[in-house]
Amino acid sequence: MGAVTSTSSYPLRAEHAVARALAESEDPDAAPSKLLAAIGQALDWPMGTFWEAPQRWDDAMRCVETWHTVGQALSDFAAATRNTRLTLGEGLPGRVWASGAPAWLPDAASDPNFPRGEAAARAGLRAAFCFPVRSRGRVLGAIEFFDRQRREPNDELLATMTTLGGQIGQFVDRRRAEEALLDSEELTRAMLEAALDGVVTIDEVGRILNFNPAAERIFGCDRQDVVGLDMAEVIIPPSLRERHRQGFARYLQTGEGRLLDRRIEIVGLRSDGTEFPVELTITRIQVHGPPRFTGYLRDITDRKRAEAELKASRARIVEAADSERRRIERNLHDGAQQQLVWIGYGLRSARAALESDTPAAVAALDEAIEGLAQAAEDLRELARGIHPAVLTEGGLEPALTMLAERCSTPVAVRIPSDARYPEATETAAYFLVSEALTNVARHSGATRAELTVRREGDTVIVELTDDGRGGAEAGSGSGLRGLQDRVSAVGGTLTVQSPPGQGTVIRAELPCA
Amino acid sequence: MPLRILIVDDHAEFRRHARRMLESDGHDVIGEAPDSASAVERARALRPDVVLLDVNLPDGSGLQIVDRLCPPGSSGPAIVLTSTRAERDLEPLLRRSHARGFIPKQELSGSRIQELAG
Repeated sequence: MGAVTSTSSYPLRAEHAVARALAESEDPDAAPSKLLAAIGQALDWPMGTFWEAPQRWDDAMRCVETWHTVGQALSDFAAATRNTRLTLGEGLPGRVWASGAPAWLPDAASDPNFPRGEAAARAGLRAAFCFPVRSRGRVLGAIEFFDRQRREPNDELLATMTTLGGQIGQFVDRRRAEEALLDSEELTRAMLEAALDGVVTIDEVGRILNFNPAAERIFGCDRQDVVGLDMAEVIIPPSLRERHRQGFARYLQTGEGRLLDRRIEIVGLRSDGTEFPVELTITRIQVHGPPRFTGYLRDITDRKRAEAELKASRARIVEAADSERRRIERNLHDGAQQQLVWIGYGLRSARAALESDTPAAVAALDEAIEGLAQAAEDLRELARGIHPAVLTEGGLEPALTMLAERCSTPVAVRIPSDARYPEATETAAYFLVSEALTNVARHSGATRAELTVRREGDTVIVELTDDGRGGAEAGSGSGLRGLQDRVSAVGGTLTVQSPPGQGTVIRAELPCA
Repeated sequence: MPLRILIVDDHAEFRRHARRMLESDGHDVIGEAPDSASAVERARALRPDVVLLDVNLPDGSGLQIVDRLCPPGSSGPAIVLTSTRAERDLEPLLRRSHARGFIPKQELSGSRIQELAG
């Protein structure tokens, strides 16, 4: 190639080469190497390097691409360059980064500010120039070329290269922006994929545009089967479709949406035809063109069930308290109160008979005395039923031992004495054991039972085991429901194991912190 | 002058004690009935001067048979209601009744019945 004679056509050839390299560069990662090759070949300079400037001025530049003609010496220099880090102002690229202007070294190896001088000398490289890759006033990097001869600065070439550096900079900038956009789109997609809430997007006529994996799980259908379908037909129960369509049409007409940007609870339709409660938020996405809507959906079947159970449990607790009050009133009325009335009658009769009929008066007084004892006993029983004094005074050990002794089924008791727990815990444990022992005696057919109480950390564990017929169920209408409520009310848990024919184990864990 | 009394109450114990007390006060207890149906039947058969009627009966409130025991305007027996509960607890119900009066069981005596029915 006529290198010497064609010096003045360098710049033009380089311009064309760069334009072509940028135009043909579909893979942005391959662009730097194509550019280096295009410029190097156009100028007939054997070695080129592409440096990237860091975001921060106190970080180092690094070489991201090299190009050279064939030869071991040039390969070695390329390797040395790739291993070099240059700070602001250091070496040829560092100088260009600092100044933003091109630079020319007639003989790089002998330049005092050229760290790769020895390597350049070994590779037989002499002249070097470097120009900035700039965009929007910022230096993104620098491109460096070397020749085997010493060469004086060529200002025309540098000026052209600087212009090209601007074009390359814009290209790099655009690619970076596109990559950032791709990254953010990928991020958005990944978020939709990983979301626990169902996300469904529809267009202005209600057709499904997007259906994320959570929505697939919630509604039991495949994305590819439902995209493009009328959303109402897919996930809205038939009974609600007409209302949905009217509301949708009204919004599109008037711009007034009652359901937009609020959390609402509605009924959803699964692909198997079952309906279930859904929490839904609909938002209109701000995009160009026709309206798009996104619905965020959550299956709240479990929450609804828990709420219903909580409500039912509250109702049962209130009902239990009411019926307890009725029982106490009835007990008082039928027991001690009546008794006292009759004692009054007896005393009145005795007074009437006192003078005329002493034996009758004595008999009436005896009966009154007996009646008083009976009334006192009635009141004691009643008071015990309301709250056991032994529990208040002595704690679980004597109170539960007393319950066990009164049970018609023999009960072995293992309870640490002296241990006291919060009042609510003791009360719950006492009534739990009282009701559970009643069940053992009445329903289990057990010949013996064992009651243990022990503390594990902040928990009291109460366990009652019997050798009866088993088959008790926590959810059934038995007294177990009441036990469950008592335990739940103090924040504890109750488990019942009762396989048919193998006895029953009732275990309550009650917090006692 | 002794009154002829029919005691209507579902508690046998109450009837026994009340009978003894009223008799010791000089009245004649001519019969007892444990529920509304037998009360109406006994009253027709025995024609007492006074029916001592418990407000709460197992087959319906005693208040509901007041008019059957003594139709308004007729010269039937004097109906005296009684209950373990206080008068003020039953006041709205008692006010609507055509009974002669109410005596709490605690205060029941021959002389109180005499005052109301005599």
